Amino acid sequence: MTSAFIALGIVAVVIIAAVTLGVIAARANLNSPTDFVVGGRSLGSVLLWLLMAGEIYTSFTFLGAAGYAYGLGAPAFYILCYGPVAYIIGYFLTPKIRSVGAAFGMITQPDIFRARYGSQALAGLAALVGFFFLIPYITLQLTGLQLLLSIAGYGFVEPYVAVAVAVALITGFVWATGLRGTAWASVLKDTLVLAAAIFAGIVLPLHAAGGWGGMLRAVTSSHPGWLTLSPGASPHGVAWFVTSVIVSAAGFFMWPPSTAAIFSSKSGDALRRNAMLLPLYSLLIVFVLFAGFAALLIMPGLKGTAGDQAFMLSIRQIYPAWLLGLVAAAGCLAALVPVSAQLLAAASIFAKNIAGDMLHAPSDDRSRTRLTRILVIVLALLAYGLWFALKVYLVDLLLYAYNGIVQFLPGTLLAFGWRRTTAWGVGSGIVAGIGVLIAANWLGALMHGMNPGIVALAVNFAVTIAVSTLTAPPPADVIDRFIAASND
Amino acid sequence: MKRYAAIVLAAVPAIALTLAIPFANRMEPSVGGAPFLLLWIVGWVVAAPICLFCISRLERRA
Repeated sequence: MTSAFIALGIVAVVIIAAVTLGVIAARANLNSPTDFVVGGRSLGSVLLWLLMAGEIYTSFTFLGAAGYAYGLGAPAFYILCYGPVAYIIGYFLTPKIRSVGAAFGMITQPDIFRARYGSQALAGLAALVGFFFLIPYITLQLTGLQLLLSIAGYGFVEPYVAVAVAVALITGFVWATGLRGTAWASVLKDTLVLAAAIFAGIVLPLHAAGGWGGMLRAVTSSHPGWLTLSPGASPHGVAWFVTSVIVSAAGFFMWPPSTAAIFSSKSGDALRRNAMLLPLYSLLIVFVLFAGFAALLIMPGLKGTAGDQAFMLSIRQIYPAWLLGLVAAAGCLAALVPVSAQLLAAASIFAKNIAGDMLHAPSDDRSRTRLTRILVIVLALLAYGLWFALKVYLVDLLLYAYNGIVQFLPGTLLAFGWRRTTAWGVGSGIVAGIGVLIAANWLGALMHGMNPGIVALAVNFAVTIAVSTLTAPPPADVIDRFIAASND
Repeated sequence: MKRYAAIVLAAVPAIALTLAIPFANRMEPSVGGAPFLLLWIVGWVVAAPICLFCISRLERRA
């Protein structure tokens, strides 16, 4: 009981400190949706770096990477690979997205489609699809939070209550500070996550086998083949690995919160500098993977999703409560900071593209900002309710979500690269891609071990190009203005 | 010329971390117990930002 008190006390202090830091440092001036949702387009390199790292390295990176290393071995390396590939794409693509965003006053991802393809219906479809796939991502973070809080509570605390308190706090935080608060709260989050990952990745292998080399050799001898991939089409084999890296890298900047971060940037150069620096942050994942491998030696035998808890349980077994509390606090911030960005992105899509553009809600800055804030609360309640009701299916949902979100890629790339692309083409491509994902449930054997997302993406590209050639493109002057703006 | 150099600098690390993985999927040669697969990946994770830095230099001079 005392241990639970100490560990949870530290978690509470750290979360409140991060929130306070965000509120004070952001000194938010939130008069318009542009201020609230995309930080007034004024973030320089450093704050942008914090925001992007803050959004990307979530509790799933923290627990999921260790859990994959524990439960599957080498397939976990894919989490290391996709970030750098994503930033190579992002180096070229994100400055263009930022430029059109500033030129046309965009605040959400569907705004890009609306400006380029001149179609309200396509923007509405993109809003619904983005919204639909974002909610499971938020609920997944709540599962991570529940896991961390129940381990740190040593079984004495009801996790549903603890998660509810944490979500209420972060919702109030988003209400008060908007996007800038998320960026500042990331200062504490990134520092703690970095420290916790390096700590766990060094001390657990030391404890388990006297260091990294000893640990890797011990894993190789107790689990032959664990550190390399199974060949070809076997489950989590080479074909799965390569296609999963491609889909995850391609989908990386298609998440609505990433678009918000891109729009918040002051300049294209800030984005290019981030593309050069952020991949190095991926090296942190090596430490998390090593913590997972060490847990395999310390606490073998956990099955399935229990593997996600292995490295936290190892820490609890070996170290005092205050240390467990600090590591759990890092994990909790790694859940809550991305949740704040995701809630804001989902609420802004709903307020701007659905309530505003389609249902014609009042469009002055004050009422739009108020509507977005109210939606943040509604969505937090919705996500909590959904998580409470369906938590069992979440891991499946996340895989669908990544494969679903990547379906925005053809419409986004071709918006800049191929003048002939039409709204009908992009819309049909998205629908076809999602159709393939649904069909993949029954066509598993035909995928040859590949991630179905890659097949859906290929079909999407083909359909987008075919339908575009058969339909009339938007007026030439609309495209000229869009392309000219993208090169600023 | 510079355009081609930039394309190559972007393509090489991207391919190394995706399509080349089947060829790097080996235990040996290993260093300190780490499989070649992991060494290959970590090497390219470090090299990718360096390639992007070189591209930014090329663009600046262009």
